[in-house]
Amino acid sequence: MEFLNYLGIGFSVALQPINLFYCFVGVFIGTLVGVLPGIGPVGAMSLLLPTTFKATPEAAIIMLAGIYYGAMYGGSTTSILVNIPGEAASVVTCLDGYQMAQQGRAGPALGIAAFGSFIAGTLSILGLMLLAPPLSKFALRFGPPEYFTLMVLGLTILIYLAHGSMSKALIMAAFGIILGLVGLDSINARPRFTFGKMELIDGVGLVPVVMGLFGVSEVLLNIEQVVRRDVLRTKVKGLLPTVKDWRNSTGPIARGSLLGFFLGILPGGGAIISSFISYAVEKRVSKHPERFGTGAIEGVAGPESANNAATGGAFIPLMTLGIPPNVIMAMLLGAFMIHGVTPGPLMMKQNPGIFWGVIVSMYIGNIMLLILNLPLITIWVQVLKVPYKILFPLILLFCLIGVYSVNNVVFDIYLMLIFGIMGYLMKKFGYEGAPLVLAFVLGPLMENNLRKSLIISQGDFSIFFTRPLAAASLILALFLLISPFIPGLGKKRKVIPKEEVL
Amino acid sequence: MAVSIGVCYGGYGLDLGTLHDPGSGFMFFWVGIIMIGLSIGLLIRAIKRPAVAGELKIFRTGIRWGKVVSTLVALMLYAYVFVPLGFILSTVLLLIFLFKAVEPQRWSWAILGAMISTLAAYGVFHLWLRSPLPKGFLGIG
Repeated sequence: MEFLNYLGIGFSVALQPINLFYCFVGVFIGTLVGVLPGIGPVGAMSLLLPTTFKATPEAAIIMLAGIYYGAMYGGSTTSILVNIPGEAASVVTCLDGYQMAQQGRAGPALGIAAFGSFIAGTLSILGLMLLAPPLSKFALRFGPPEYFTLMVLGLTILIYLAHGSMSKALIMAAFGIILGLVGLDSINARPRFTFGKMELIDGVGLVPVVMGLFGVSEVLLNIEQVVRRDVLRTKVKGLLPTVKDWRNSTGPIARGSLLGFFLGILPGGGAIISSFISYAVEKRVSKHPERFGTGAIEGVAGPESANNAATGGAFIPLMTLGIPPNVIMAMLLGAFMIHGVTPGPLMMKQNPGIFWGVIVSMYIGNIMLLILNLPLITIWVQVLKVPYKILFPLILLFCLIGVYSVNNVVFDIYLMLIFGIMGYLMKKFGYEGAPLVLAFVLGPLMENNLRKSLIISQGDFSIFFTRPLAAASLILALFLLISPFIPGLGKKRKVIPKEEVL
Repeated sequence: MAVSIGVCYGGYGLDLGTLHDPGSGFMFFWVGIIMIGLSIGLLIRAIKRPAVAGELKIFRTGIRWGKVVSTLVALMLYAYVFVPLGFILSTVLLLIFLFKAVEPQRWSWAILGAMISTLAAYGVFHLWLRSPLPKGFLGIG
């Protein structure tokens, strides 16, 4: 009964005209950035964060969340029609989606991607509704040691799942923590690493960091070489999959939804990892694995369902524990904080309107996305034809105004450009931005909980090993960190994505 | 490595506190120590197995360095003149440069595109979202 009451609150919030408008804007922009290669959901969310300052907290989060799951829908369009993934979670969709398009089956490929995404997205929201309340109640028992070790574990999993060297990912995470701690000490208000700059008293802003690392650096990488995009010239027709297509896709959609949802909860790749694993699973369970890579609809249905289901799962740690499992959720945490809302176990009680409003809006957003992605597919195909030479100045313009309008200081523009250059060089030298940003957001929380834990235990580190959850988290984190040195395991970590998928 | 040492030194100077009551520099110092260890590890690995040309993305051929550097210089200059010139003038100039110099297009399109984009951005951020954008010496905006 209580559940139904909360659901009613959610609908009353999500169905308010202004929230419906923000939801539509979010999923529309999400689809747009998903379709356009060169700008991902993280960049788009940081670009649009300043536009939410005047909105209510629920409207802001509804829009930003819409960008996230909207991008998962839109990403498949570029993968299928251009063979270039619109965002990282759609990489595997290229393998069979583009082949289907070349065989004149672009319509069913786009159709099953949209239907699969809708079904998986809806299922994951149901999972979120069912799992979040009991987990929130359980999380009320957590103290600073549990929070600190859970954050260490989250960061370690992200580092473990990083594409390249673990040492490089670790050093990025350490640097992210340092960056996050710049500014006034939250306990004694002492300025730290501000170098006498008033602009750094409140710390380094999340928006300049994210826009620089994911917006400016991406533009620099794209303009350094001539990129050809050949959009499929044949007309997209017959979006509704046939009965045979549905028969082949039902299993992959169901498995992809489950996989995506549970992998989304885990810190790390979320949507990206789940799409890869879903493809590998489908290839393994198929009676004709040789069809994969030649236009098998299962290779589109599974990963596309998985990456959408992961978006719902990723909300669980953020909404119930206040711990973001990936960079996008870190952005959302930043947005929550800016609007004076602290996600975590108390959020459901203190801000039920926001909690349930956001969840219900995701369901409404999924319906909007189905309408946006099926009947309006021709519009997105036209968008794909916009040349990058027109697009990149506009992306840079949005980055510049977006970052300036957060605090109205030019210093933030310089900061963004510095992080842009840094992000560009990081990609050149094989360093990833994701551990840095997640650690940047978690850094102050980690420090706070570590210091509180040590004060509680009077300086005794055994507090982290005598409490079961804290001990289990630390042991798992330690295992992941040393696993590359364990014969057999280290090798496995390197080969999983390629070997399993291709 | 230099950054890590700087962080450690800075953290030490900020007061480490005690284990009973960690100070402002506690986390900086210990994270700095971890960074030093990792930097040494990466340094040793780089010395043992130096990257060959072509292995790192930075050494790949066909990279249009001129485009990257000119875009960055333009953006830095934009930040420098943003307040004195004002939003509209500085943005139109930046966009004309990006449309024309970085990826060459017709002058008419570059100028028209720059003006339309600037006015659209001005409308969204200044008029709709009430974000105060600098007017510059011309007092436009």
